[in-house]
Amino acid sequence: MFSRAATPFVQKVVAGSAAVTGLTASYLLYKDSLSAQAMTAAEHGLHPPAYGWSHNGMFETFDHASIRRGFQVYREVCASCHSLDRIAWRNLVGVSHTASEAKEMCEELEYDDEPDDEGLPRKRPGKLADYIPGPYENEEAARAGNQGALPPDLSLIVKARHGGCDYIFSLLTGYPEEPPAGVVLPPGTNYNPYFPGGAIAMGRVLFDDLVEYEDGTPATTSQMAKDVTTFLNWTAEPEHDERKRWGLKALIVVSSLYLVSIWVKRYKWAAVKARKFRFDPPKKN
Amino acid sequence: MVCNYIASLFRRNSIYVATIFGGAFAFQAFFNYGVTSWYENHNKGKLWKDVKGKFVEGADSEDDE
Amino acid sequence: MLAFRSLKTNSLKTSIRALSSTSLRLSNNYEHPDFSHYVNNKSETHNRNISYFMVGSLGLLSAAGAKSTVEAFLSSMSASADVLAMAKVEVKLSAIPEGKNVVVKWQGKPVFIRHRTPEEIEEANDVDISSLRDPQTDSARVLKPEWLVMLGICTHLGCVPIGEAGDFGGWFCPCHGSHYDISGRIRRGPAPLNLEIPQYEFSDEETLLVG
Repeated sequence: MFSRAATPFVQKVVAGSAAVTGLTASYLLYKDSLSAQAMTAAEHGLHPPAYGWSHNGMFETFDHASIRRGFQVYREVCASCHSLDRIAWRNLVGVSHTASEAKEMCEELEYDDEPDDEGLPRKRPGKLADYIPGPYENEEAARAGNQGALPPDLSLIVKARHGGCDYIFSLLTGYPEEPPAGVVLPPGTNYNPYFPGGAIAMGRVLFDDLVEYEDGTPATTSQMAKDVTTFLNWTAEPEHDERKRWGLKALIVVSSLYLVSIWVKRYKWAAVKARKFRFDPPKKN
Repeated sequence: MVCNYIASLFRRNSIYVATIFGGAFAFQAFFNYGVTSWYENHNKGKLWKDVKGKFVEGADSEDDE
Repeated sequence: MLAFRSLKTNSLKTSIRALSSTSLRLSNNYEHPDFSHYVNNKSETHNRNISYFMVGSLGLLSAAGAKSTVEAFLSSMSASADVLAMAKVEVKLSAIPEGKNVVVKWQGKPVFIRHRTPEEIEEANDVDISSLRDPQTDSARVLKPEWLVMLGICTHLGCVPIGEAGDFGGWFCPCHGSHYDISGRIRRGPAPLNLEIPQYEFSDEETLLVG
């Protein structure tokens, strides 16, 4: 009986329920928008300002001195909570460290080796092919060490957050001395206007002169935040410099191909386009 | 004249096609070199090879992989 | 249109000529459209050279682009950086005393490294090559005579031979009883070939790089 499409009655029921659903959804959205929290900076986080990163722009590479300083900040500050799973020691070679420096750093660490003849686990010094170890064994340990909050892996964090570099930098430098009046924070959280919701489990970690840079750059809070953000941008996009070089090459070749192909098309069509027709209507007689 | 020299490449189709394919190889090498040197010059001071000396004493050349 | 008109007005002969050839001048008093606007005043050779040059550069750029594309696809088939990084094993030689064997894992396979004594080197060189199943001099099997580096896989059926064992003071395969001498050459048993030598080099005095 339903095979012959819908009867006028069924059609009315479907149209009516669609209308009711739509109107209800609109009303609920409208109600929600009236509350103080909805669609505000407090709910979505303060929009970070656009900073002039030295790698902004089509043909700009990373500042590799900054990557190196940022790695130092990561190692001395961030690494106590955050892992960097996707970066191996070999990735640093030729980017921020020489092969011997990277080797020196990884050999200080112990990695699991193949079991010995009796099947007992063994340890060996790290190799360039090893990945940078995280501070915790697993996710549960990480949560247990941070009152239930999981410090995210930082390898791709710049790509994984809206605002990218600007957001990371703003977050790191955006902790006010006191939360604004009227803001109630859940226990164990800190106020940061750039964090969606405003309450972030991570406290302020960067303070002036926390690290000592080997090239003598003054280690201010913003300098460290800038360096570590550049470093994290590199870990998220290690192909960045190469990619922009390829982009430049592709732009030049493809745009010249485009122009030349327009010329060749005009050349091929010249005989057709330059043709003229003349029509003399027959005289009536 | 240069013009006649170039025109001589068009006279035989085999030479013409061979020039195009040979030129593609030469062009690629030349173009690669040109773009890379411009790019590295444009970003001078930011690349690892430029800042290496600041961090590593007597920048050694074993930086390979 | 011209043909249509001529069928009506002119003789049949003219109409056929008009149909058969487009470049035909129908008559002297026929008014042609003005083409002078399109005429290029440069010499014919010049125009031809320019045309060939432009078509040639289109081909050249396309060929270069196609070459890059093919190269990109081909390079994606080669080993990735993390595989290449694992493909080499570094061994510190100072940790291996003279007359001792060390087994390291390289790409999942055991590699035998023996620090040979002068007597063992002499012994390996004293063997009559022509009497061997797989004739090979000792010097062809080592880069430095005191370091013997070879894959620890029996050439018979792939067992791992035991070091410092067998009738020839080298290796002995427990699976089917192949005896290898102090140069890793097959002397007795079913194995057809000497133990294989992997690619290796001494990156400096103290370091051996296998792979």
